[in-house]
Amino acid sequence: MTHATHRFTLLALAGWVLTPIVVLALRAVSLSWRYPQIMPMATASGGAFEALADPRLVAAAATSFWLALATGVLGTVLGFVTARLVTRASGRLQQLTWLGALFLVVAPPLASGVGLQVVMLSLGFGGTVLGVLLAHLVPATGYLTLFAAGILGSMQSGIEDEARTLGASRLQVWTRVLLPQLAPRFAESVVLGALISWGQLALTLLVGGGVVRTLPVELLSLVRSGNDQAGALAALVLSLPPLLGLGLLVRATRRTGAAL
Amino acid sequence: MHLFPRVGRGGLLRAAAAVVALALAGGACRENPRAASAQELAEGPWSTLVAQARGTTVIWRMWRGDPAINAYVDKWVAPRMQEQFGVEVQAVDSQGPEMVNTLVTEREARGGTAGTTSLLWINGETFAQLQQEHLLAGPWTMRLPNAALVDAASPIITRDFEQDPTGYESPWGMVQFALIYDVERTPNPPTTIPALAAWIRAHPGRFTHDQSFTGLTFLKGLMYGLGGGVERFQHGFDEARYVQGRDALFSWLQSVRPYFWREGTTYPPDVAAMHRLFANGEIDFTMSNNQNEVVTKVRQGILPPTSRAVLLDEGTIANAHYVGVPFNAPNPAGAMVLANFLLSPEAQLEKQRGEVWGDGTVLNVPALPEPWPARFADVATDAAALPYDVLAAHARPEVHPQYHTHLLDDWRRVMRADAR
Amino acid sequence: MTRRNVAPLAAVLLIASPVIVGVAYTILAALGLRGAGASELTVRHVAAALGGWDTWRGVGWTLATAAVATAVAAAAAFTVALRVQQSPLGRLLAVLPLAVPHVAAALAALLLLSQSGWVSRLTHAAGLTPTPADFPALVYDRFGVSLVLAFAWKEFAYLVLTAVAVLGTLDRASDEVARTLGASARQVFWRITWPQLWRGTSPAVIAAFAFLIGQYEMPALLAPSTPTALPLLIYERSVDPNLLRRGEAYVVALLALTLCAGLIAAHGIWRRRLPGVTR
Repeated sequence: MTHATHRFTLLALAGWVLTPIVVLALRAVSLSWRYPQIMPMATASGGAFEALADPRLVAAAATSFWLALATGVLGTVLGFVTARLVTRASGRLQQLTWLGALFLVVAPPLASGVGLQVVMLSLGFGGTVLGVLLAHLVPATGYLTLFAAGILGSMQSGIEDEARTLGASRLQVWTRVLLPQLAPRFAESVVLGALISWGQLALTLLVGGGVVRTLPVELLSLVRSGNDQAGALAALVLSLPPLLGLGLLVRATRRTGAAL
Repeated sequence: MHLFPRVGRGGLLRAAAAVVALALAGGACRENPRAASAQELAEGPWSTLVAQARGTTVIWRMWRGDPAINAYVDKWVAPRMQEQFGVEVQAVDSQGPEMVNTLVTEREARGGTAGTTSLLWINGETFAQLQQEHLLAGPWTMRLPNAALVDAASPIITRDFEQDPTGYESPWGMVQFALIYDVERTPNPPTTIPALAAWIRAHPGRFTHDQSFTGLTFLKGLMYGLGGGVERFQHGFDEARYVQGRDALFSWLQSVRPYFWREGTTYPPDVAAMHRLFANGEIDFTMSNNQNEVVTKVRQGILPPTSRAVLLDEGTIANAHYVGVPFNAPNPAGAMVLANFLLSPEAQLEKQRGEVWGDGTVLNVPALPEPWPARFADVATDAAALPYDVLAAHARPEVHPQYHTHLLDDWRRVMRADAR
Repeated sequence: MTRRNVAPLAAVLLIASPVIVGVAYTILAALGLRGAGASELTVRHVAAALGGWDTWRGVGWTLATAAVATAVAAAAAFTVALRVQQSPLGRLLAVLPLAVPHVAAALAALLLLSQSGWVSRLTHAAGLTPTPADFPALVYDRFGVSLVLAFAWKEFAYLVLTAVAVLGTLDRASDEVARTLGASARQVFWRITWPQLWRGTSPAVIAAFAFLIGQYEMPALLAPSTPTALPLLIYERSVDPNLLRRGEAYVVALLALTLCAGLIAAHGIWRRRLPGVTR
């Protein structure tokens, strides 16, 4: 590929990816921005940014953060354990599991959420952060099981056998061989799981019953109320933490193999 | 916020078994709701109830679609409830129709045990559905000390879509439907239904209504006007009269729809979308169920400063909205103290200010002790606000919720679906 | 069932149990036994929902918009992944949309593509569109143009991520051999790279497609009122003022679940026939 076409690809890519983000950013700082103004006329003073310090938003951000972290960590544990167990099962069960996991990931939240709502309410978890966490874990575990299966499948099982042959105990195989190899993958998995939880809306609304308030829930309220300036601002705030997580992931994409 | 639910050891297993049983058992077991505790509480002295409420939290389910309302609730009501009664108020988002589903699910899953929320903001068909499913506690509203201040002579307040609140919901505010236009773009807005039709024909693509509650209220108001006045639809649901009114409405709509925005092939999803289209000059009218929304939305910068409200001479629908306590409220005492505070002259006055919310009071203002009547009279009238006597002269009551249900269904089936 | 399968099966069932119970509830509600307005066993909801023209129009419209969006996203993602796999900047750019939540992306699409949106303002400034109505209807439009673009924008990032990962695992030795044997770059791509890339990414492509069928927030902000997208139909029915019709929401929800499950199962079967694929 020539230098020029490479440049062109990057430019086109930047245009496609950044234009919507730039428009959101412009909207976030403009009090009034009406047709046919290309650039906002009145920019928001400090007052509009005070909205960010609103205790509701801050509390929602904290809830979102802890939910995401817990979903990432627990989803990683569940995902790797399930994948490890299933890779040793018979081919048919394996296949069924992969399909089932994929289904958990893509099942329409509006459709599966109603059922989850009943389950969580029955357990007394309706309207609690714990209930929402369990609900977020459903798609996250599905996704991370597939991710873990990709990793475990591509790891040379030979190393494990070799270590055993050389006299390593089972525990040593884990602590000296497998875990060091897996540690960076765990980190990626936690980030992926956290991302899934961070953006959840329908499951949070159904299981949280409006009582558990996360950033996407607050954002939906703002967008529904037609307050686009505050909505765009909240949207950008909502996008920042995942961006940091993504930086970590992108560095690692080449190694993760076919995660899905 | 409950971080951890109250589930004892062994409770988890039992609950899991209950879930499986619940999901797999055939047949609907429709337990009666547990004894309404709001009703029990209503029997003791009020001071006991206030004492009981101190130190508790009230989770209040409400529509959160307007920043002005949210600000009134979060920044004015909540701190005062905390200060004066030691009650923490937490407003959470839930629209009326969703509340019914949530409460039904809570009952199915949890039977007689406490639910999540203690107060609901409701009216009209939501109240009808909640009563139909026996999801409200009561009667309790007559126990509120401030209930005596309510304007008991107003038919709009004492009848919620022709239903008697019978002590199951306490009035909170009153609003009236209005069209919103931009005085710079439309110096002479139409003020009758025929004039509106003529305006729409003369300005193709500049008028539409949304598909949610506000749009339906607009259509229902047109149905009154085109079907011979609201009187024809009063005193319960009458199928024949409904069909007649609907047909008159639909033939009117058919005749002007080709001149609607996007030729009536699609409709904005909600009133927020309407405001967006209006502010950007895609359409020349938006609308609201609250005659004063134009004031608050201009202040928020959502609508242009030259926006004004207008009523049609055939009348526009006015209705009251209420708060109710669900059958499984974890904190009925706190909910009742809050409902009482919402009826206090200070809370009603603040709410009525155009710069706050612009929601009409439900109190009988002339009968209030001094200095309240003067204070209510002093509520600054904004240039964009409509005078009270004009509003009152144009107000038409809501009719039976069945009209709402049927009209929405038929509009979706006939008018929306046959969009080419 | 062999013994080695017991532990894995238990784990899988445990994780899937909420969804299994959830689906069971949905079936009961679809049959009129659970939910608001439930009374007795009836097939009324099933008949009303499946006999309704708007349901099938919604199914068709949702499948079509999701399919076009997935195709656009996949084509763009493959093209970009092949070109930026060596460029850290390119890779970072490409995955940015992953960080933007769906509601936010839909709001951006609204601000950009509506008839009074940013693009329309640019064409207005260029003298091409004197009024908003002169700009083509891309939002709330029957072809769902803004919805497709917003879908594609989000899924593009996810598919680039997957495609770059797959490309990183490809065995480049066979490329060299083929080139030495006189194959053109084009032949190498179509005969060697492409089949491997497609094989590695097809589950992700199918997952994106199935996910879009149930995505609620984006159609809620961008889709037309007619045809009514499947998730909007589920929501609309679930809050119907007529309690007796709410059961239909569960029927439509089951339909959506079945579509997703069917897609995944069909893909699974197709994949098993591919040579050298174990999962």
